[in-house]
Amino acid sequence: MKSRRVGSTRGFTKAYAVSQPVRCKTKLTLGWHGQTPRNRAIECPMDAARGVCPCRRNREKARASVAPYASFHPRSLQRDACPCHPTQARLIDPAPQLVHDTHGYGQYNVIPCILGMCGILLSIITPQASAGGFDYAFHIAQQRVVKLYGMGAGQQVGYGTGMIASEDGYIVTVLSLLVSGNRIRAVTANGSRYEADLIKRDADRQLALLKLKWPEDVHQPLQDKPIGPLPFFDFTCDPAPQAACHEPLLPGDWILAAGNPFKIANGSEQMSLAHGVFSVRTRLDARRRTKDFPYTGDVLVIDAITSNPGSPGSAMVNLQGELVGMIGRLVISNRTHTHLNYAIPYDVLADFFKQATQASNADMAKTTIPTEVEAFDTGIRISRTGYRTILPFVDRVVRNSPAQRAGLRKDDLILSVNDHEVSDVSQFDKRMNVRGPAETVELIVLRGRSIVTIHIEAPEAKKAP
Amino acid sequence: MKPRSILILPLLIYCQTPVVMAQLPAKVNDDAALMIATQQVFREIAASMKSYLVRIDTVGGTQPGEQLNLDSDNKEGRKRSQNPFRDTLGSGFVIADGPATGIVYSRDGYILTSSFNFARRPVLISVTLPDGRRLAADLVARDHVRKLALLKVDAHDLSLPTWRDTQDVQVGEWAIALGLGFGGREPSVTVGVVSALNRMQGNAIQTDAKLSPANYGGPVCDIFGRVIGIAVPMAQRAGELAGVEMYDCGVGFIVPQSRISVIAPQLMTGKSFQRGWLGIQVRSVPGVGVVVQSIADPSPMRDAGAVPGDVVKAINGFHLRNYADLAKQIYMIPAGETLQVRLFRDGSAIDIDVALASAEALGMLPEAEEPFDPSVPVEERTPEDQKEPAPPSP
Repeated sequence: MKSRRVGSTRGFTKAYAVSQPVRCKTKLTLGWHGQTPRNRAIECPMDAARGVCPCRRNREKARASVAPYASFHPRSLQRDACPCHPTQARLIDPAPQLVHDTHGYGQYNVIPCILGMCGILLSIITPQASAGGFDYAFHIAQQRVVKLYGMGAGQQVGYGTGMIASEDGYIVTVLSLLVSGNRIRAVTANGSRYEADLIKRDADRQLALLKLKWPEDVHQPLQDKPIGPLPFFDFTCDPAPQAACHEPLLPGDWILAAGNPFKIANGSEQMSLAHGVFSVRTRLDARRRTKDFPYTGDVLVIDAITSNPGSPGSAMVNLQGELVGMIGRLVISNRTHTHLNYAIPYDVLADFFKQATQASNADMAKTTIPTEVEAFDTGIRISRTGYRTILPFVDRVVRNSPAQRAGLRKDDLILSVNDHEVSDVSQFDKRMNVRGPAETVELIVLRGRSIVTIHIEAPEAKKAP
Repeated sequence: MKPRSILILPLLIYCQTPVVMAQLPAKVNDDAALMIATQQVFREIAASMKSYLVRIDTVGGTQPGEQLNLDSDNKEGRKRSQNPFRDTLGSGFVIADGPATGIVYSRDGYILTSSFNFARRPVLISVTLPDGRRLAADLVARDHVRKLALLKVDAHDLSLPTWRDTQDVQVGEWAIALGLGFGGREPSVTVGVVSALNRMQGNAIQTDAKLSPANYGGPVCDIFGRVIGIAVPMAQRAGELAGVEMYDCGVGFIVPQSRISVIAPQLMTGKSFQRGWLGIQVRSVPGVGVVVQSIADPSPMRDAGAVPGDVVKAINGFHLRNYADLAKQIYMIPAGETLQVRLFRDGSAIDIDVALASAEALGMLPEAEEPFDPSVPVEERTPEDQKEPAPPSP
């Protein structure tokens, strides 16, 4: 499994480049011998297999978004392959001159069907190199990530990966020193070179939005090749119901990450593919060196090793080639003290993209300023004398305080605050200080030999704003 | 869901897909369908194993540090002041205080996990059962050699996972590791294959599923959801934290069912396993073998009649060429087990039976009793030897 080749991707690219007419019939027939045309039929196999489209919602809206491409690849509309990913439809028929439906077979005709059956028989009797099943997703991902180069210092490397978020060149990546310099360069999958501007930075989520500069914007154009509309990942899918944007991701699902760790790839060279499974969705509690990592939202932990320089910003896709996350910055988990391999989930990215492209700078700032209102006093008093590690034993509970009403007693040992383990007083203080103004506190305490859960409600008077 | 039904589902999916995908090239879609079927199984296993996993939280305790090097300039002084038979703690890995994973071992509340999770010697251990009950737990016993630990909670009628017979496990089959180390109720899933059998003197199966503090103590399952064994940190050296630094690197170890079925009943009686020691200090001499330099008093080797200058030729029938061979034969054998040792003295072989002792049972190590002959070259030291200028044999 580890050494599986991404077999046919090169052939795929070739299919784009070759502009000579190829007949449908020929393609299908040739396909069984593992040559280039075989890839033509990779067209969203998952969708065909399920008989459903990955996007269950916003289908009409998405169909409308496909419309601009209809003029030069009408068949993609017939197929209606991936409405939420209009460019995937473009991928199926990358250039109009490739499509010569001279026989008028249409899409789901009898003859391709018979040929398909023959293909199954042939594939059974002819030994053939297996493509694996990851190649489709890798191809989708690899076309939609860019190699980034920028400022670096010491262990902060000056290279990385970004994901194309629109056909006119928005790039979503991680916030790092790389994008903080005054010159950022991006290289797309076909080797075209661009300069990029930093449009938005989100320090809380450690995300950045870049925009590629078009030739007329730069005085000395870097690119020597013509640039067309770029293939991109769709970040505009409504993230609220997660299933609407991609297949629901469950622990154990295959994931693929395409990026440029250690800047192995240059120019038009392929990105590096890493495969693994999605482990669990959990809240991030991590640090970089000695500083706590500012992002504390949900992350997708994976078992592919992606905590490498250059990997942050890599696109993480599922088997269907749908974007499910972006590899985050290199951090060390506070829960396990290990380097964490994780991705920022799609819904967080989509939310960021929406804010970054629509909101003004002031709006962005407003959402990130923490509230100034202080949290209510629970009435817990902890003994702070002792040795190096002071366990959070309750020393006293203030009379008529929320804690007393909740049933907390003297000498209870506090084990966790809001599902965060606290093993000493400083951690307890930290957890209590990050509460919202009226947030309920759930404590798990040890009382004698029994373990008790205590809900401390905010006092009524202070609940009102 | 029972393991048997897990098997049926992917098969159904796999059989049906050729019909559905008839219009598309068969091979490509066969591959894709197989991938979908596999991930479906991984999902099922994650969901089904949830009812056997327990989350372990610890409170208090301290980070086990490296050996204190108070007198590093004076190596002789340092050697005298410290017991050379003490287990070194090993890597400089820092243990976090996040939750750990265990698995239900008996219906009446025995929980099996890894001793790694208690290296900090916590003052309190609590266990959250699959049904959400959180109970205080007692640490019944630990196996410092196989890195296992047994907990007891006051619970009844817990459901038990199916265990995989170790005899049938084959290299190359799927290995799915589960853990609760990232918190929450959902286990994390990492997937790999069985890399090798009979590692660490038959005490471990090797896997490339990513094992880390997030799932040490948790089960590693086969593709049918049966537990192959318990994920533990392990390395070919001693120390409470040995092997942790290899986390997520593609080399991980599982204590298999065949070993657990022997060890766990003994742990239930409260018996802990300590690392076993011969109580000798040795030197590797090329062409000669492992030469005994000095013997602790009391020690198993002294009791068995060995004297300085003896050459340790073989242990349990395995021929020894150097110190590394000797260490490899011994480091996974707990105190109390008996070894057959073949010594060479004045050209004749002497076979003795030696019961390994724990570090506490060993006496002082006299200064080199065997006269040191500078004309005999000392063999290149192993990395382990470099840490300890005069390595005591295990």
